[in-house]
Amino acid sequence: MNAAAEAAGLATGDLLADARAKAEFLQVRDADPTADDAALRRLALWATRYTPTASPWDEDNGADGFFLDITGSAHLFGGEEKLLADLAARLRKNFGLPAQLAVADTPGAAWALSRFHKTPLFVLPCGQEAAALAPLPIAALRLAPDTRATLRRLGFKTVGSLLDKPRAPFAARFPTELLRRVDQALGRIDEPLVPVVAPPVYHALRYLIEPIFTHDAIIAHANRLMATLVHVLTRDDVGARGLRLCLYNVDGAVETIDIGLTLPTRNVSHVARLIELKLEALAATCDAGFGFEAIGLAVICAEPMPARQTELTSVTDDGDRTERCASLIDALRQRLGPASVRRFEPVTSHLPERAEVLPPFDGEVPAWPEPEQKPRPLLLLPHAEPAEDVTALVPDGPPRRFSWRGVTYDVTGAQGPERIGAEWWRYREPKPTRDYYLVEDSTGHRFWLFREGLYGRETAAARWFVHGLFA
Amino acid sequence: MAENGLCATTGPTPHIAAQNRAAVIAELRRLMPRMGEQRKPLPFGLAVIDSHLPDGGLACGALHEIVPAAEGCIAAAFGFIAAILGRLAYPLLFVMPAYGLRPYRPHGRLHGHGLNALGLDPGRLILVETAHRKETLWAMEEAVRSAAPAAVVGVIDTLDLKLSQRLHLAATEAGLPVFLLRPAPPSPPSPASGGGWGGGSAAATRWRIGTATARRDRFGLVTQPRWHLQLERCRNGRPGEWVVEYDHVAHRFSLAAALADFSRPRGAGETSIRQAS
Repeated sequence: MNAAAEAAGLATGDLLADARAKAEFLQVRDADPTADDAALRRLALWATRYTPTASPWDEDNGADGFFLDITGSAHLFGGEEKLLADLAARLRKNFGLPAQLAVADTPGAAWALSRFHKTPLFVLPCGQEAAALAPLPIAALRLAPDTRATLRRLGFKTVGSLLDKPRAPFAARFPTELLRRVDQALGRIDEPLVPVVAPPVYHALRYLIEPIFTHDAIIAHANRLMATLVHVLTRDDVGARGLRLCLYNVDGAVETIDIGLTLPTRNVSHVARLIELKLEALAATCDAGFGFEAIGLAVICAEPMPARQTELTSVTDDGDRTERCASLIDALRQRLGPASVRRFEPVTSHLPERAEVLPPFDGEVPAWPEPEQKPRPLLLLPHAEPAEDVTALVPDGPPRRFSWRGVTYDVTGAQGPERIGAEWWRYREPKPTRDYYLVEDSTGHRFWLFREGLYGRETAAARWFVHGLFA
Repeated sequence: MAENGLCATTGPTPHIAAQNRAAVIAELRRLMPRMGEQRKPLPFGLAVIDSHLPDGGLACGALHEIVPAAEGCIAAAFGFIAAILGRLAYPLLFVMPAYGLRPYRPHGRLHGHGLNALGLDPGRLILVETAHRKETLWAMEEAVRSAAPAAVVGVIDTLDLKLSQRLHLAATEAGLPVFLLRPAPPSPPSPASGGGWGGGSAAATRWRIGTATARRDRFGLVTQPRWHLQLERCRNGRPGEWVVEYDHVAHRFSLAAALADFSRPRGAGETSIRQAS
C-alpha cells in the first residue's frame, strides 16, 4: 500500500470492483507470493548487517516484515533508538521503503507495536509489555481471522480487555492459539526465531605473481579454480548452471566471461572447454593489455545435482547421451550465441504461422501431438507471398494455374479447401478467412496456397498467397 | 577374510590383480562404444536400391550429400532427409544458417507440423542457427565429434574436398550419419568433370532429389509423397535412379507404381482437378 493508494482511499482486503470504483487509474496484476517472499528474504539478508539473526515474517505474521534479534548488538550502533533511526534511514535511502519499527522484549510485542503504535519508531522499555499492549486492538495478537471475529462478537475490542480475564474459560472455548499468542506477546513462553540463512557463495579467486596473457594460461588457471570449487560443490550436492570468470587486468579493467550450462555440472574439463570457446570468440575484443594479475571464478547459479554412480554403467545409456547432448549444446551456445540453439514447440493455434515457436533450447522435450490428417507443408514461408495470375474455374474453387516468383505453374491436382478462420479475439478489425489448398503442378512440385477472404461474403476479389512447400 | 586369503594365494597380488582388472575394464569400455557405433547401415528396405549401396544400406559413419535437382526441389530434398531420419533414434541435430541468410533463404523455414506429418517428431530435433558458413561447419564438426545426436544434418552453400574429408573423417570416427544439404547447382554437371560441382567431395554418397507427382488415393487426396531419387555417386556401390514413395506411418520407402494411380485418368495426358469434399 503506497502513498498514492492511501490517498485514493484504498485499503488492503478491498474487493477489486470496489478498488476500481475508488481509483479508476488502478492497474491490476496478480499477486506473486513466491516473489514477495524472495524479496523479503533478500531484505532480511541485507538486515543481517545489524545482527546475525534476521527472521522474515511467515504467513501467520503477515509476511510483510522481519524480526531482528538485536540482543547484544544494539550498542554497536549507539543504542536501540539510534539503531532504529539508522535502519529506517537506510531502508528509505537504499530501497525507498517507508518502515514502521519497534523494539520490545518479545517478538510478539514488537510485532504488535510496529503495526499499531502511533509513532513509527518506538522503543518499549523493559517489562512494560502488558501496559503497552493493553490499548491496542485484538488484531495486534496475530490471531486467525475466525478467532478474531469471535472475540469481537463477544465484545473484546482491545488486548487489555483480554489480559485481566481468567485463563481457564478461554483455554476451554478457544483454540490454543489464543493463549499461546498472548503468552508469546508477554514473554511467558518462548518464541524461537528462524534466522534467514545466506545462500552459499561459491567463489574462488587467485592472485598471480606474474601477469598472464595467453589463453592457455587463463584456461590453466580457470581449471585450477574450478577444481577448487568442485570440492565445495560436491559437498553441497549442487552443480553449476551459470559461471562467471573475472579477469582482473593490471590497469584495473575487468573482463568478465559468463558461461551458461544446460545441465548443472561439476565437470572441470567441460567448463575449461567452454571458457576456451568463449575466449576464442572474444579474441578480437578481449584485450589482455599488460596482462591479468588476478583471476576469479564464481558460480552465479547453482542447482541441486545429486551424486551419481559413474562406474560400471553402460557408456551408451540414455543418461549418458543426455549429458553428452547437454555439453554439446553448451559448447554450441558458448560459441554461436545463447539464442542459436533452438527447439520446435507447438502452439495451440490453427493459423500455420502461429502454430509453432522456436524457443532457445533448454533441455526440455516438448510433446508434439500425433500428426493429423490435414496436410502441412515441410517448409513454411514466414510471410505468405502473393501468387499472381491465378486462374480458377469458379471464384471459390481451387486454382488451375498460378505464378509465383516469376514462374507459372499449371495445377494438375488440388486438394482442399481447408478453411482456417482468423483469430477474432486477437484483432480489433476482423481478418479475412483463408481457404487452403494443396496443389500439385505437372512436375510434382507441391505448394500450399490459400485464398484470402470468402468469396461473396468477405470480399469480391479474393487474393491468393503461397504459404508453404510440401516435400 | 577367507576371500582375501584366496586372492593372495591364487593371484599374483591383490593389488596387481585389481590393477589388471581395472585395465581390462577400461579396455572393454573403450571397445564397447565402438562396437555399438559400428552400427548396421540404414537400409531403405527396397532391394532395388539397397543392392546399389555397399553393405545393403546407407553407411552410418559417413558423410552423405543431398542435392536438390533444381531450386524448386529443395522441399523434396528436405523431405528425403526427414524420411531417412524418421527411422533413426533421437535426438537429431539440424545445423543451418539463420533464416534470411543464404542458401536457405528463399524457400521458407522448416515447419514443425510439416515434419510431424512426415513422421519425424519435431520435439526431438535441435535446431542450430548459424551466422555464416564457417560457423555451420564448426557446429557440424563439433556435433559429430561429440557423438551426442543420432544424426547431424547441415545446410551449406559450397563444399570443397578438404572440408568434406574432414567431416567424413569425423563421421567415421563417431559412427554417425552426417547429411549435407547443398543448394541446387546452377547448371547440371557434366559427367566429364567427375560428376561434381566445384571440386570433388569425400562423401560416401551423393543423392540428387527431384520432385515427382504424389501418390493419390481414388478420391484424389495426396497420400504419399514421391521423390525422384538419383544416386549420383556411391563409394563401393553403383549409381542408380528411382522414383520412390514414402509412407510416413510405417517409415517405409516403396517404388512408385505408376499404374496404381487411381486418380489420374489414363487418357491422352488429360488432367483433372479433383477436390476433396
